[in-house]
Amino acid sequence: MNDLLVARHQVNYEQKTYWRNPMAAVFTFMFPVVFLLVVGTSAGSSAIPDSTLRYDQYLVVAMLVFGLVAACYTNLGITLSIRRDSGVLKRMRGTPISAGSYVGGIIGSVLINVMLLTIMVVAIGMVGYHLHFPYHPLAVVVTLLVGVLTFSALGLAVTVIVPNAEAAPAVINGIYFPIVFISGVFYPIANTSVLARIATFFPVRHMVNALVGAFEGGPQSGLKGWDILVMLAWAAAALTFALTRFRWEPRHR
Amino acid sequence: MGRRPVRGSTSPRQRRSCIKGTNYPDPRRRIGNANRYDRGVGLDDDTVISVRGLTKSYGSFQALRGVDFELRRGHVLALLGPNGAGKTTTVEILEGFRRRDGGEVSVLGADPSHRDRALRAKVGIVLQECAVDPYLTVTEAITQRSVLYPHPRPAGEVIDLVGLDAKRDARVKTLSGGQQRRLDLGLALIGDPELIFLDEPTTGFDPTARRESWDLVKGLCAEGRTVVLTTHYMDEAQALADQVAVIAAGKVVATGTPDTIGGRDRGKTTVRFVIPPGVSLGDLPLPSGICPTVRCGAVEFSLPDATALLHDLTGWSVVSGKPLAGLTVTRPSLEDVYLSLTGAEVDHP
Repeated sequence: MNDLLVARHQVNYEQKTYWRNPMAAVFTFMFPVVFLLVVGTSAGSSAIPDSTLRYDQYLVVAMLVFGLVAACYTNLGITLSIRRDSGVLKRMRGTPISAGSYVGGIIGSVLINVMLLTIMVVAIGMVGYHLHFPYHPLAVVVTLLVGVLTFSALGLAVTVIVPNAEAAPAVINGIYFPIVFISGVFYPIANTSVLARIATFFPVRHMVNALVGAFEGGPQSGLKGWDILVMLAWAAAALTFALTRFRWEPRHR
Repeated sequence: MGRRPVRGSTSPRQRRSCIKGTNYPDPRRRIGNANRYDRGVGLDDDTVISVRGLTKSYGSFQALRGVDFELRRGHVLALLGPNGAGKTTTVEILEGFRRRDGGEVSVLGADPSHRDRALRAKVGIVLQECAVDPYLTVTEAITQRSVLYPHPRPAGEVIDLVGLDAKRDARVKTLSGGQQRRLDLGLALIGDPELIFLDEPTTGFDPTARRESWDLVKGLCAEGRTVVLTTHYMDEAQALADQVAVIAAGKVVATGTPDTIGGRDRGKTTVRFVIPPGVSLGDLPLPSGICPTVRCGAVEFSLPDATALLHDLTGWSVVSGKPLAGLTVTRPSLEDVYLSLTGAEVDHP
């Protein structure tokens, strides 16, 4: 029995359950698209600090970050909390599947969703807001992959602190939304501002910085090594936390 | 006996032919009909589960205080006991979900706390709660699970076996509670397990569905599989189990077959009937030395062997033309024995 083959099968089933329960797709796909169509058109094409992108073009990249974090962190956290409470995780634990194949399958499915999201959002940006095709496509891919790794790891980690399925959305979004706001996902925030300084501690700001750097041209553009490194540090910390503390069973007794 | 028709004329080997790729030893051939559990257990390689001195505490609460039992291949063990007695803790230690504090545990020759994948591939588990992804169809749920096992049974065969062939393409969330429970059982069987854990498998079933599940379990052990069953239904234990172990307050308080546990086979027989009109107790052909109780015109005796008494009574009734209305002859039920073993008040009629 091959772990990789099992993970590949698992991707297949994860995709099926994902698309058959459209609630999960709302934050990942619908929110960024609606936000771009509604806010993007009224945002205007003014210049923004620290970037060669226009405001509306910046929003395209920022919404890709929003969707990615929803696809990884929010989706994993809520899905795993529900599965843990309903006993699905415990049941899986009783089969010969390795934890790696199971979680790998989920993350593989997330990768497919992020790919679809990227194509969708970038297409809207290019058609609607004259967003240039990314100047550094390889840097975009690397940044997205690191983003998926980091925010999936954070999704596993947040599942540890979620007490039960009912509390999952409150805990997960309660952490996520304040950080998204101060990280400049809805409007650009200058690097020198107090908010940006606070946000620099968290990974979302670095994801926005790195992805903007990969999309835009200009002297400061390209792969943002420091941002990538900070995200990887978060990924390592989150994975360590999840690996040592993850519960496969509901908390009752 | 005779409650397991399989044991008679049909060879278990013939019945097993539908299972592909399995080569079980034939337990029923070598093991006699009666009191199989009472013959020295655990003396040969056919021991599937061995538990000795098992202890487990949750904080200051001692859930298990030295549990011992053994289970042989092809047998069904029913674990009985009140809620909180330690049944689920015991089973979850055997399943590898919980770590024990002390004692020795062997499941199919391995220590379940090591969580070997090879062991997990040989064990099928049905948990108390239904746990299947609601958005998959029945076929998808089964095939998703089948790729995890080295020698799975064909998905269609398992779906037929648990009686969900009509619901093959239905989403799990549209199934009724009983159907979900049967799917749960199917998921436990897909890996062609040697050992199956069933934690209260028929709770909430209607009588027909329960009978069908019982037949299924009987079929499983006829194929040489071993089953550990926890249940609150005494009729279920009576119908299915080769061995019964009663757990109370973290200890096994009795083991045996459903017919002999707790001295049930040595218990007194109770004879009860309504005294015919115009007849007094003294007119009846009763042997001396028994103390009948009379309640609402009905008389009741308990005695070790009622054969002679019944002969005399029914002979008297036929000769005198006075029928013994409501005549019943009962022996202590498994439930009576269970209640006395677990310390509950026995409220006999």
